[in-house]
Parts: sequence; structure tokens; C-alpha cells
Amino acid sequence: MKDKLKQLTREYSSILAILVMGAVFTVASPYFLTAQNLTNILLQCAALSIAAIGQALIVISGNLDLSIGQCVCFSSVIGAYLMKFMDVNPWVAVVCALLMGCLIGWCNGFLVAYVGLPAFIATLGMQMICQSFAKIITNATPIARLPEDIAFLGRGYLGPIPICVLIMLAFYALIQFIAAKTRFGRNVFAIGGGKEAAYFAGIPTKKYLCATYILGGLLAGVAGVLLMSRLDSVSITNGNQYEFDTLIACVIGGLSTTGGKGKIVGVLFGTIFLIMFFNGMTMLDVDPFYQNAIKGGVLIIAITADVLGNRKRN
Amino acid sequence: MSEDTILSLRGITKEFPGVKALDDVTFTISRGRIHALVGENGAGKSTLIKILAGIYLNYKGDILLDGKKLTLRSPADAQAHGISVVHQELKLCEPLSITENIFLGNLLYRGGLADWKKMHHKAAEMLAQLGMSMRETQLVESLSVAQKQVVEICKAINHNCRLLIMDEPSATLTDKELTVMFSMMRRLVRSGVTIIYISHRMEEIFNLADDITVLRDGRFVKTLPVQECSREELIRLMVGRTLVNEYPKCEMELGPPVLEVTGLTQKGVFDNISFTLHKGEILGFSGLVGAGRTEVMLALLGLSDLTKGEVRKDGRMVHYKKFAQAIRAGIGLIPEDRKKQGLVQIASISGNICMSSLKKIIRRGILSKRLERRYAEEYIKALSIAAPGPDTEVQYLSGGNQQKVVIAKWLMADSDIIIMDEPTRGIDVGAKSEIYRLMGKLVRQGKSIIMISSEMPELLGMCDNIVVMYEGRKVGELTRGQASQEAIMALCV
Repeated sequence: MKDKLKQLTREYSSILAILVMGAVFTVASPYFLTAQNLTNILLQCAALSIAAIGQALIVISGNLDLSIGQCVCFSSVIGAYLMKFMDVNPWVAVVCALLMGCLIGWCNGFLVAYVGLPAFIATLGMQMICQSFAKIITNATPIARLPEDIAFLGRGYLGPIPICVLIMLAFYALIQFIAAKTRFGRNVFAIGGGKEAAYFAGIPTKKYLCATYILGGLLAGVAGVLLMSRLDSVSITNGNQYEFDTLIACVIGGLSTTGGKGKIVGVLFGTIFLIMFFNGMTMLDVDPFYQNAIKGGVLIIAITADVLGNRKRN
Repeated sequence: MSEDTILSLRGITKEFPGVKALDDVTFTISRGRIHALVGENGAGKSTLIKILAGIYLNYKGDILLDGKKLTLRSPADAQAHGISVVHQELKLCEPLSITENIFLGNLLYRGGLADWKKMHHKAAEMLAQLGMSMRETQLVESLSVAQKQVVEICKAINHNCRLLIMDEPSATLTDKELTVMFSMMRRLVRSGVTIIYISHRMEEIFNLADDITVLRDGRFVKTLPVQECSREELIRLMVGRTLVNEYPKCEMELGPPVLEVTGLTQKGVFDNISFTLHKGEILGFSGLVGAGRTEVMLALLGLSDLTKGEVRKDGRMVHYKKFAQAIRAGIGLIPEDRKKQGLVQIASISGNICMSSLKKIIRRGILSKRLERRYAEEYIKALSIAAPGPDTEVQYLSGGNQQKVVIAKWLMADSDIIIMDEPTRGIDVGAKSEIYRLMGKLVRQGKSIIMISSEMPELLGMCDNIVVMYEGRKVGELTRGQASQEAIMALCV
């Protein structure tokens, strides 16, 4: 019983944090608890939280991906460039962007799983490569005013709800289901929990590790497309810092930093927490220069809690 | 107490939960001699060393060093008292030089700065004294295993060492390297150092040691000068115990061959291994650690590559490229390292049990929690796994119960052959016999078992036939009738 309670607080502490923080901001600012602001928070969550799902799968398998931000950027650059300058059908261009995401993910996965590089190094290298290519292709100038065909993805509404928020929820439902209810999900958790034990249970660990990176790349591609549609432009700053923000979302969302534990849905709450935090800070006119320091503090506190939890277990 | 006693142990007792590793051990060690400490695995040698090295601090009994009572607080404390240990695994910083390694954590200073000139000089002196030809500036990573061992010894004796403990230093050395090491040890002894030497190799002990102390099951058996001891006598002292019915072996009529292995070879690791496993048989694999037993099994199961050889399962030629294929064919493996390889520690009992047979709990692509629970509960009951429930994480279970979860995993996967690599290692006595009973039950159900073990009594107690391996070769196969500890040891040395 006590264990169960502990587990629940661990998994859903982010919800509690969101409620507490929401209450504070509501008291502090009359503009916080308005339908428009809350919708705005969710809108800002959409792309980041979808990229965070990919990061979450990779973290659960016991690795990490530092290339996610630049993967978001580069894949959307590819999509935008194709539809704007090559007259490619916008939907074909979107598919190309997603494939680019998969390709980047495969490179990561190949380097980590088959070549055996540390994830930190491999994905850092890929981050730099993606960033560089994005600059080369765009010449560091934004590509704006994209075809209207894809506008509804990022700017359309279904009744009062933004389409991209629906897309986000759909992805969370899907991946949560895959993680909890399928062979794939089960094996990814097993690998993250004990790679050697998973190997000695007959699970093809390399294949799975590679697959988590490909899926991570694909989801980063989706995030890139949503971002491009919402902003109606692509610039080399799209997706900047996503690698860190997604990691923070994972940790706040209750994933174990060593892998094998956590819930995908928790990462959604982690993302909401993060976005809401900045939203509230801006609303309270906190100097943006301070904001990163506070973000860093939150990250350290969240990871400390995780480390202490682990230490107690051992 | 006589003048020439350097160390005396009085009533040393060390208990671990469920096991008495050392039980009232009393003996003395004479100064300036090489004292061999022998006994089977589990006799208590390594526990005793860890106490002397200041690693285990809680024990009963007294240690007297030069007649004075010794209370160690840490390994550094042991060193300060002149006791140094060379462990079996080398603990060196590979990218550093010999000198740097010798003086690691122990630098000499002049005017507040490290005095490398002096340290290099001293290191060179030490190497020369031991009759070694390496240069002190050489990097450790460029040395052979034997040379690294020498660096370890230099490191150990650097600090005013009076008592040097060597834990199976010979395990990885070639004969030529051994000769060099022995002559070095004799020089050390001449310079007044006392050596406690642990080894499994008989001829080494008789070549090198002055005195021999035998431990068995955590108890002191005898200390005697090497001249007064014959090889047969020593073996008898080491293994001589009558087995009560610790091993509930059930006599089985062996069925047809289920696994036939011929000429299995992995270049440089093992060579030309052949054996046959019958239905209902428990086939033992005996040999020293590093004899290649585990490696044979891994290669057989597709967990590593084969150079040559044939495997037949139920008469049909097979070649497993991936372990998953072997699992599908009905072969399971209980790996050597239960904690890391056998189980995902942070996963639940049910998660571990179902890990290799997800297809049984997946319906139309979707995992059924209900089925998973039902299977898990079934196995928890059948193997009497003591746990609050199927959701308990396996890290909270005792060693014996953890091992039962590993066995359950393969039962769930419908394995009809289960390869068990050291299945009772680190498990206390009561739980051991439960595992044995379980093994008996499995063979009665028509399953077959290969058991690799370093504990000879359990091999003798449980197996129908025993394959003996030595340095990558099969050196013999004994039937239950022929097998005895002496017979196995005779093949091994």
C-alpha cells in the first residue's frame, strides 16, 4: 500500500506541481487563468511535447538524444524548402520531412546500438551535423509564407480546440498504448531496466535500441512539421533547446534517468509544467535573463529527487 | 607464542545472512615463509582474506599481528600495518606508467611537489630487486598480464609490506610467466616478507609453499609443513566430507538424446567439445573458472559465434544464429550473473517471468495484463516463490527466490532443455536444496538440464554424468558411478 502510494506520487507528482504552480500564478496574475491563456499554453506545448515522446522512449530504453532539437529544425527545413522552392506537393514535402527525421534517428540508433558509441557523443555529433545542414540549406534566413494546405495543422481549430493539440493528444494516446500494451513497449522497458538481462532473455536489444531512435526521429519530424505550420515559417532557431527541454519534461514527468521506468503520459504533464512555468514567468514580468536559471534549478531539483529515490532503493 | 609467528588468528567467525562463511578459524602463520591457503570454492578463503585486508570489518575473534591485537578500520589501515593484498583482478590505471601506478595514492614529495625523479628511481630499484627487465617509465597498458601482476606486487610491497597476500595470482599466467613470478616471490621472502598464497593448482602449491593450511566449509582443517603432506592427503583434506542427503537426486531412466554436440570449437576459447544430453538427464559441467564452460553454452545458443562444430536438437541439425531461435526451439539459459544477466532487477516478477514468452500473453497484438497475472501467479505457486505478489520488483527478493523467477521464465517459455550456469551461486544453504528439488521435479517432467558448477559436491549430488573441462578442452566425462571429487580433480590438474 505504502509502495503503491509512493509510486503514484512519483508518477503523478508533475500533475500536483502543475496544480500548485497554476494556483500561484492565478493568484499572482489576473490574466493567467483565462481560456485564451490556457489554450495558448497547450498550443505552445504541442510541438515540444510530441518531440518529448521520442525523447521519452529513448530515455526509457536507457539512452538519451541530444539531437532532437536540431532534428526538429532540420526536418522542417527540408519540408519547407521542398514545398516553397521546389514546388513539391506540400503533403509530399511533409512526408519527406518525416522521413528525414527517421533518417537522422536511424543514424543515431546505428551509432549507438551497432557501433557502440556512447549516446551522449553520437547524438551530440548528429546535433551539430543537422544544425550545420539546416544553415547551409536556408542560408540562415527564415523560409516564410508556406503553402496554405498545411496551415490547419498548426493554426486550425476544431470548435474551440486547436488541431495541433488534438494531434498531440492522439500521439500521446497512441504511444502510451504502444508502450504499455505491446511487445515493442514491453521490450523497450526491459532493455532500459537491464540491458544484459534483456539480451539474455532473447530480446534483440540492438534492433530495439535502433528502433527507439528512429521513432524518436520520426516524432521530432512531426514536431517540426507542426511548428512550421503554426509559425508559418521555418528558421534555424526552430526547435532550439528542445533536446534539453524534452529531457527536463521527461524527468519532471517521472521517467527514471537510468531507464526502464515511467509513463509516457507523465511526459505530457512534464511538458505542460515547463511551458506553463515560462508562461507564468512572462506574465509576471520576470526578467527573461533569470528564467533559464530558474529552469536549471527546477531540473536539478527534479533529478536530485530521482537520484535520491534510486539511492534509497539500493 | 613462538618467536617466528607473524600472524595468528584466533576463533575467527564471520556470518552472512543465512551462511556461516567462517566458523571459529584458528591458526598461525610463520614469519618469512610462503603459506598456502587451500580449500574448495566456498571454503572461506576469500572471506578470510577480506578480513585481513580490512574490507570486512565485522567478525568475531582476534587477529594478532606480531603478538599485538589488530583491529582494522579500512583497507588503507591494513596497508599501514604492513598487510597488502594482490587481488585476482588487476586494479591498475592502464594509461599511466609503472612508476605512477606503484606510487598511486602514495606519492613522494619534495617541497610540496611530486618528486618524480625519486619515485622513478625507487621504482627502478624495486623492479631490479625483483629481477624484472621492464623500464619504470613504460605504460602499464603496454605490459603483458604477468608484467602487470608484477606491477601490482610492487604496488603492494611499496608500502613497507610485511605480509603479502596473493589471491590466485596464477589463474591467468602461462607456465613460463609462473616460473618468473615464483622466483620473484622467493626473493621477496628472502628479504623478509611473509606471503599468504591462494591457489587451486596442486603442483604450484607443492613447488612453492613452505606451509599449507586447509579450510573446508568455513572451518579450519589442518596446518602442516609441505614436506609432511602428500598430494593425495591434501585432496582428501580439502574435499573429505561425507555427504548427507543434501542432494535429493531422483534416479531417472534416461531417454533418447535431445541435444548432441560434436566438435564445437571457438578459436582461442574452446576446442573440439562434444557431449550428449539425454531426455531426463542432468548433465554436469565441471572445471575451473575460465575453463570455457560458459563460453561453450553461449556459442551453442547463438549468443556468440562458432568457428566449427555441429549441434543436433532432437536428432535434427540446428545452428542458432540468435538466442531467440534457441528459445523458440525450447532451450533456456540461466546465466551466471543472476543479478545482471538473469533478471531485470527493477521489473516486476510477472514482467520477468513473461519476458521471453510475450507471445503467450499477447492477443491480436495487445498485451493482456490479466493473462500475464494469471501465468505469474501460477508459477509463483508452482515454484513456491516467496513474494507479496506478481507485481513485486525482483530486486526485493532473496537470491533463492530470484533464481526461481529465472527458472519460471524458462518454464513459461516451454523450454525442454534448461542450461544452468552456476545456479546456486550466492544462494544460502536452505534455498539451495530447494533449487535442487526443483531440478529433480523438472527432469521428472521430462525436461533435461545442463548444470555448470564450480561446486563439486552439488555436481556429484545432482548429475547423471559429468563433463570435465580444462583450459578450453574436454578432458573427460564421468558417469555418476565413476565420479568423485578426487577423480574430477585428477582430471583438472
